[in-house]
Amino acid sequence: MLQYLRIACKLCYYLGLAFFTYLMALITLQYIPLNFEVSFLVLKDELVNKLHYQIAFFAHVYTSILVLILGIPQFSLWLRNKFKLLHRNIGKAYIFLILFISAPSGLIMAFYANGDGFTKTSFILQSILWFVFTWIAFKSALKKSWISHENFILRSYALTLSAISLRLFKWIIVSVWELPPMDTYKIVAWAGWLVNLLIVEFYIYWKSQQRK
Amino acid sequence: MKRFVFTLFIIPLFFACENAIKNEYAEVIVEEGTEVEVDTTLNAAVQSLKDENPGIPNAMESIESDNPLIGFWVGYFRKDDEKMGDSYDKNIYAGDVFYWERENKINISIESIEGEKVIGRSIVAGNDRPFEGTVVEVEKGIFDFKVAEPGDDYYDGEFEFTIATLNGSLRGTWEAYKDIDIKYRKYELEKKHYKYNPDQDLEYAKTYVDWSNTIESTETFEYEEGEFEEWITTEYATSTHLIYEVNGSARLLEKSEVENMKKGDLTIIRNAIYARHGYSFKNRFLRVFFDAQDWYIPVYTDIRNDFTDIELKNIVLLLKYEKNAAEYYDSFGRG
Repeated sequence: MLQYLRIACKLCYYLGLAFFTYLMALITLQYIPLNFEVSFLVLKDELVNKLHYQIAFFAHVYTSILVLILGIPQFSLWLRNKFKLLHRNIGKAYIFLILFISAPSGLIMAFYANGDGFTKTSFILQSILWFVFTWIAFKSALKKSWISHENFILRSYALTLSAISLRLFKWIIVSVWELPPMDTYKIVAWAGWLVNLLIVEFYIYWKSQQRK
Repeated sequence: MKRFVFTLFIIPLFFACENAIKNEYAEVIVEEGTEVEVDTTLNAAVQSLKDENPGIPNAMESIESDNPLIGFWVGYFRKDDEKMGDSYDKNIYAGDVFYWERENKINISIESIEGEKVIGRSIVAGNDRPFEGTVVEVEKGIFDFKVAEPGDDYYDGEFEFTIATLNGSLRGTWEAYKDIDIKYRKYELEKKHYKYNPDQDLEYAKTYVDWSNTIESTETFEYEEGEFEEWITTEYATSTHLIYEVNGSARLLEKSEVENMKKGDLTIIRNAIYARHGYSFKNRFLRVFFDAQDWYIPVYTDIRNDFTDIELKNIVLLLKYEKNAAEYYDSFGRG
């Protein structure tokens, strides 16, 4: 019985992830080829002509979808055991992209986030934590500290998934409560990643208790 | 082989409608006689408008005349039920949100009277049509008019009305030349003076457009003019008390206040700028809404040269956020 429940949960998780990743891919496709007319950029009219922002924006948009996708197979125990080298290579790609491109570009964008210091702070914090978690996860793997690696990669991916959760929460808030746009944005800027991190921290704690 | 078939399935999904992440068909209605260039930079837009539209601005005030007959006669242009018979089928309902008996605010502008000859124009529902005809004083202070529109427009027709200068009232009827949807109209108008007033705020008028509700459904509204049905599918109309408090003609709007406005508010605040300039709306919802404002008089169908600097900047700002709200507000995408 428990077996079936497990399988059902896994199926839901993968299907859900696949669906939302598909939506994120659609969003990314709006920007291919280079497209400055997308409404989001039109709002940033003073910024969109600045080269440093353009580079940061498109670097972030083009790499983040890859980061999202690369992370998906890494959590499968079966895959990890069967294809150790593949896990390592995909892992290096995931980490490389975040540390060198996605997180730094995200940090630059964070300073220009819509809204005021409240939202900007959230995104700045998010980029820094994303970088730090991913970095520690990498170092742990090098040192073969697998538990630490697992914990920190979970935290890293929780933040990666904030791309999805932020938009999901926005949709829920707007559908149910119809809050005005900026108020909604202020909520999801923080909720988008804090909720994910909280869930992951509970899981890590629970797992650590399991090991005793 | 399996992998190939699998990919074959997946690829088309990516070209499926983008509706999952944004409202592809979301439209921001920009009335024809009000278009301004929405560039990515605010100042460039304002400047380009000044460069490209060196046209003549309209008069900001209606002209006074000694002759009490001359001027703007304003009121509702209604279905003439006596001549039309039962015409309930011509009324328009949209759920609980909108109820309209096809009346429009009309401005019959009598411009000159020389002897028996009358010249003027009428402005109603986005149409500005000239007319000419005759006037006869049948009794002291009672004038009978009979004026005709040229006839080269589908909606042209003939007016017959009487003005009683003693109580300043105008009553009459109108008949279209062609067999249009509403062939017979009647009206009771009064003399009004138009003056552009940037400080004119919206009033809590009794209106048949309930903007606090959302209009989302595409229920079958079988109307001859297809545009109405389309509008329902694309508009997401919610408005708040803000429309009575924010005046886009009186002051420069801040980005921080505009970025938190819902689309309904953005739409109304922007179109209120046009209404203050006497713009005659083609879009039905906007028209019904602004007609209900007591101060509103339709005077012009092209006001592109009339905007003040403040208004131009506000229009460009509002349009940007309107477009964003239309496409992304209630979908999965960012915005």
